[in-house]
Amino acid sequence: MATSITGLIKGLGVTLKALVNPAVTVQYPHEKEELHPRTRGVIALKVENCTVCMLCVRSCPDWCIYIEGHKDKAPPRREGGKPRSVNVLDRFDIDYALCMYCGICVEVCPFDALFWSPEFEYAEPKIADLLHDIDRLDEWMQTVPEPPELDEGAK
Amino acid sequence: MSTAGDLAESVRAAAHAADARVSVDIDTGDMKLNIGPQHPATHGVLRLVVELDGEKVKSVKPVIGYMHRGYEKLVEVRDYPQVTTLINRIDWVSGFCNEIPFILGAEKLLEIEAPPRATYLRTLLCEMQRIASHLVFFSAYPLEVGAMTPMFFAFRERERVLDVLESVTGGRFHPNFNRVGGLFKDIPATFRSECAETMDAVRNVCGELDNLIVGNEIFMERTVGVGVLPPEIALDYGVSGPNLRATGVAEDIRKTSPYLAYDQVNFDIPTGENGDCFDRAKIRLREIIESTYIIDQLLDSLPSGPVMAKVPKVIKVPEGEIYVKGENPRGEMGYYIVSKGGGTPYRVKIRSGSFSNISCLEYLLDGVLVPDIIAILGSLDFVLGDVDR
Repeated sequence: MATSITGLIKGLGVTLKALVNPAVTVQYPHEKEELHPRTRGVIALKVENCTVCMLCVRSCPDWCIYIEGHKDKAPPRREGGKPRSVNVLDRFDIDYALCMYCGICVEVCPFDALFWSPEFEYAEPKIADLLHDIDRLDEWMQTVPEPPELDEGAK
Repeated sequence: MSTAGDLAESVRAAAHAADARVSVDIDTGDMKLNIGPQHPATHGVLRLVVELDGEKVKSVKPVIGYMHRGYEKLVEVRDYPQVTTLINRIDWVSGFCNEIPFILGAEKLLEIEAPPRATYLRTLLCEMQRIASHLVFFSAYPLEVGAMTPMFFAFRERERVLDVLESVTGGRFHPNFNRVGGLFKDIPATFRSECAETMDAVRNVCGELDNLIVGNEIFMERTVGVGVLPPEIALDYGVSGPNLRATGVAEDIRKTSPYLAYDQVNFDIPTGENGDCFDRAKIRLREIIESTYIIDQLLDSLPSGPVMAKVPKVIKVPEGEIYVKGENPRGEMGYYIVSKGGGTPYRVKIRSGSFSNISCLEYLLDGVLVPDIIAILGSLDFVLGDVDR
């Protein structure tokens, strides 16, 4: 019987100590935790960097990126040259209902057009509304943080 | 007006009546009870068809497959970098540990070796994930046997561990941080101090959990001598991980066939004696403490250098087959990869700890009482995604 009481008293001691400690929870809508710069919250698009190469579309494991574009003629670089042929981005949609947040598209992008942002408040009442278009993805570029400083052992 | 004598008389009469009622031989009959698939105590969508005689279990048939997502088939149409995003989700409580064996297998087939810094960091993050996973056990299991308080303590520290994991990998649950040939990125500058602080906090919460649960008589009453698994039966069923070590078998892949940097660090394998629910809980608490010391050692001896080896841009794995296993928090996690050349694996067989661990349920639940079903189920610490894949 004596052992049972010591076990219970020890446990009560732990909970009593917790009573005087400050709370660790955050009252979410009123205060927000600062998220890490690497947090994968949402994918942002830097529109001017995109060359419609389709690498992100092909590497996506669940095929949730939709890109459309067309070829256009741009003025030549040098005077008297031939007009250049450039790809123009018409549509860049990401279906966040399908997205697995793996980041492969951000990684494969050869022109640094895709970035991760820790932004997470983009819930929608309807699942179809989670398909976000080029304007929304461009807006999120404002929230992309600087990458964190690396450890001294990194090379 | 009643006197004390009258009261004693009526009490005696009531006791006599109660005795008479109990002594009647009631035919309890057989009853079939379906626990699950939607039952909070079965950790997801496990269904148990239990045949009861009164409060005693006559037989149990576990029915699995409600969470079958066909990962073995899905990885056949995805290339190697894409596969890690899927296998992360097999066992969502220990995502980082799931990636390791697959990546190691692909690296062996490609004959690429990850740089030492990447190997050390993989080991470190793997142990961190183990701590987070075992802390989930210490919040769910006491809850199932009737103690609510430990959950708040375990989850508080688990959140800190996941926070450190997130600062490195970018994901709390699905890190997707391993690449064939190394790691995606190096650790941020703040990692070392945060990690050391978190490990101190984890050791502290282990002391608190020890006082709250392991030393608690009510918890012992529910778990000591319940669900005893003898070592030979456990080995016959292929039980692995902490559940096997609780039976007294010192089998740990980190020690018996070391992978990553586990041969560079000193650590003990905690083993139990009786193989009951109490031992299974105690083992996990000691494993958390061992893991914190592993992390401390790895942080001190972390080599500098790159974290990524030279890897071709398009990964084409040569023909061959390989089985690579690793110690998941739930047991042996292994991938049998068959490659016929090309960018996608031809066939992948996934061996997961939880599946083998719950196959001994028929043995464990034979003849126990109904409340003990929940105590035994929780102590095995399985994840249904890991069972069904």
